[in-house]
Amino acid sequence: MANLNVDSAKERTYDAIVIGSGMSGGWAAKELTDKGLKVLMLERGRDVKHIKDYPTTNMYPWEFKHRGEMPMKVQEANPIVNRCYAFHEDAAHFFVKDAEHPYVQTKPFDWIRGYQVGGKSLLWARQTQRWSDFDFGGPARDGFAVDWPIRYKDIAPWYSHVEKFAGISGNRDGLDTLPDGEFLPAFPLNAVETYFSKHVKDHYKGRYVISARCAHLSKPNQIHLDQGRAQCQERTLCQRGCPFGGYFSANASTVPWALRSGKLTLRPYSVVESVIYDDNKGKATGVRIIDTNTKQTEEYYARIIFVNAAALNTNLILLNSKSKRFPNGLGNDSGVLGKYVAFHNYSAHIGAEVEGFEEWATDGRNPAGGGYIPRFRNVYKQETDFLRGYACGLYAYRGFKHSYEGIGEDFKAGLSKKEYGPWRVGSHMMGETIPKESNFVKLDPNLKDPWGIPQLNISVDYDDNDEKMKKDYVEQLTEMFTSAGFKNIKAETNHQAPGLDIHEMGGARMGNDPKTSILNKWNQVHSCPNVFVTDGASMTSTSCQNPSLTYMAFTARAVDHAVSEMNKGNI
Amino acid sequence: MDRRTALKNLALVIGSTALLPRCTSHSSVAHFNSFDVTYDQQSLVLDMAETIIPKTATPGATDLGLDKFIWLMLDDCTKTDDQKAFFKGMGEFSDLVKKTYNKDFADCTKQEKMALLSTFEKKPGDKKDAKPANNYSKELNGFFGTVKGLTVFGYTESQYFMTKEIVYELVPGRYNAMYPVKNNMKA
Repeated sequence: MANLNVDSAKERTYDAIVIGSGMSGGWAAKELTDKGLKVLMLERGRDVKHIKDYPTTNMYPWEFKHRGEMPMKVQEANPIVNRCYAFHEDAAHFFVKDAEHPYVQTKPFDWIRGYQVGGKSLLWARQTQRWSDFDFGGPARDGFAVDWPIRYKDIAPWYSHVEKFAGISGNRDGLDTLPDGEFLPAFPLNAVETYFSKHVKDHYKGRYVISARCAHLSKPNQIHLDQGRAQCQERTLCQRGCPFGGYFSANASTVPWALRSGKLTLRPYSVVESVIYDDNKGKATGVRIIDTNTKQTEEYYARIIFVNAAALNTNLILLNSKSKRFPNGLGNDSGVLGKYVAFHNYSAHIGAEVEGFEEWATDGRNPAGGGYIPRFRNVYKQETDFLRGYACGLYAYRGFKHSYEGIGEDFKAGLSKKEYGPWRVGSHMMGETIPKESNFVKLDPNLKDPWGIPQLNISVDYDDNDEKMKKDYVEQLTEMFTSAGFKNIKAETNHQAPGLDIHEMGGARMGNDPKTSILNKWNQVHSCPNVFVTDGASMTSTSCQNPSLTYMAFTARAVDHAVSEMNKGNI
Repeated sequence: MDRRTALKNLALVIGSTALLPRCTSHSSVAHFNSFDVTYDQQSLVLDMAETIIPKTATPGATDLGLDKFIWLMLDDCTKTDDQKAFFKGMGEFSDLVKKTYNKDFADCTKQEKMALLSTFEKKPGDKKDAKPANNYSKELNGFFGTVKGLTVFGYTESQYFMTKEIVYELVPGRYNAMYPVKNNMKA
C-alpha cells in the first residue's frame, strides 16, 4: 500500500501547477513549458478545443432558432449573465449560468464568468493598451491604495514579449500616456472618426483620438502562423470563437502551443478547493481539487503554483487555503486578502448625429471597433475634484437608411434599399475606480457552493469619486462633440452594478510592504514564495486601460523569475 | 471556386432549420409550450404578416413562413404577461375588423386589410416619437406592433433576404474605413 501511494503521488507530481486556463493561465502554461517544465493545468470547466468546439462559429444569422435572441425562460432564470452584452444565442454556451456557481451579493455585483478551457479569453473585447508610469505611479502620487512595486521600465520588455506572440494591431502614436508597442498594422479610423481625431488634436491640448489597439492579426507574422493562426477576416463574430484564430484567445494560441510541447497536462472538470500548504516544509506543496464529474477530492503536487483562476476566484481559492501557518487564507498575514477590490466604471455613454461626410461610408467590418481616447484627465497634475480619469471608446458608423414605417409593397421594397443614411457617432467611458478596504470579497460563513466550497460574498460598490468622474465624462464629451459640430447629442448614464464591466481586479494586490500587500514585485506571495498570482487579483490599482494585456505581461515576467529562482534553488 | 461561391454552397449544405409547432394534420389547433392557437388565429396572423410583407415579384410572408417565426418567438422569447396582452389584443383586433367591415379579416379585400392596418401606423411626416392617431387600447396597438415587429424581424433576418436582398457576409475579409459613396441611391 505504502509503495502504491508513493507511486500514485509521484504520478500526480509536476514541476508546476497552473490554476486556470484563460487569459493569464494560458500564458503561464506556455511560458513554463517553453522553459522545459512539466506542467499541470487545472480548469474547473469543460475543455473547449480550438475550432472543433466553436459550434456556432460558421452559422448564418437565419440559422439561429431565435435569430440571436435568448429564450425568455433562460433570460428570466439568469438575470445576472443576461445583462452581459454578449449573452446571446451565438455565445451563451460560453457563459456561466447564474445557478451554476452561486455567490452572495452583499451589494449588487454582476459576476460574469466563463468556465471552460480558455475562460473569458474566448469572449473578451480584445482591446489591448499598455499602461504607463502615469498609471503605475498613480497610487503613490495621488495617495490611495499602496505604491506599485514596479514601474513601466520593469514591465515594458514583457509587454513586447507578449505582444509579439499574441499579435496586437495598432499605430505608433507616440503618446506618453499610452506607450507604443510591437504592433501589426492598425485598423484605420473611418471618415468621421478621422475628422474628430483631427478636430480634437487641433482644439484640445493633450487629447487624442487614435485607432483602438486590439489583439487581432491584421497582418500575421511567422510566429502567428506557427501557432496555426491566420489573418483576421473582419467577421467580428469573435465571441463565437474564431476558426481563423484571427484574435488572441488561450484556445487558439497559448494552450495549444503549450500542449504541442508535450509537457502540458490539461485537466478540465477540476474545481480547485485550496492550495495545500505544508506547515512542516514551510511552503505550498500542491493543490486540492474536486473532480466535478466524480465529486471526488484529489491532490496534485508541484514545486511552484501559479494561481490564475480569474480575479475573484483567485481570491476565493487563497481565502479558502487555510493552514496552521495561514489561518486566514494563504499569504494573508496582512489581513488585506480579498480587500481593495476595484473595477472599471462603464456607466456612461453618449451618442450624436453627424451632418455631412456623405461621400464616405465603410465597407466590411472593423474588429478594433473604432477609436480610443486615452486618459486626458489629471494626467500631469491634479486638475479636477475627483481622482484619476477615464479613457473613452469612440466610434462613428453609417448604415443603410430603412424606414420601419408603413406596410405593404412599398414598405417591403424600402427594406431592401441600399441608400446610405446619415452618420452617427458614439462613445462610452472607461473610468478608473479607487481600490478601498471597504470594497471586498470574503468567504461566506454559512453558504456553500455545489462542491462544498464556501460561497464568495461580494461587497463592492461605486463611490462619490466615480459619480464625479461620470459627470465629468458627460460634460467633456458633450463639449467635444458640440465643438466638432455634432448634432442632437444625447448622453446617458446608468447605474449598472460593478462586475458588468468584467474588469474586476485586486484582492491579492502587489506591493513593497508585506504588511499591506499579498504579493511582491514578482507577483510572488510575500510569505509563501513558491505561489504566484498573475491574474486580475494581483492588481494594486486599475488604471483605465483594458487590463488583459497587462496580466499577460505580468505572467510572462513572473514565470521568468520563478524559473530563475527554481534554478538557483531558492524555491 | 471563389470564396463567395464556396460560402453559398456551404449555406445550401447547412440549409435552414424551420421549426414547426406540434400540429397534427387533423387538428385545427396548434399546441405551443405556453399556449394553444386556433386555426383562425393562425390564419389571422398569417394574413396580417402577408399584408405587411406581401408577395410581389419576390417572396412574401407566406412564402417565407414568417407566421411560424412569429408564433415561435411569441412562445419562446416573450414574457408571459406580454403573451397574455398579445392574445387580448388579438381578440380586440378581431372585434375591430367585425365592427369596421362586418366580416372576418380573412374575407376582407386587400384594400380593406391595408386600410385597417394603416390605422395602426403613424401618418407620413409625423415626428419619430409620434403615436398613431387612433384611440385603440394599449393591448390592441401592442398586438399590431408585435406582429409587425416580428414580421419585419423575421423577413430581414431570413435566408432569402440575407442572400438575395441585402447580402450578409459571414466572412467579409476586409475593412475599408474610407469607402467612397459615389451615387447614394435616392428613394
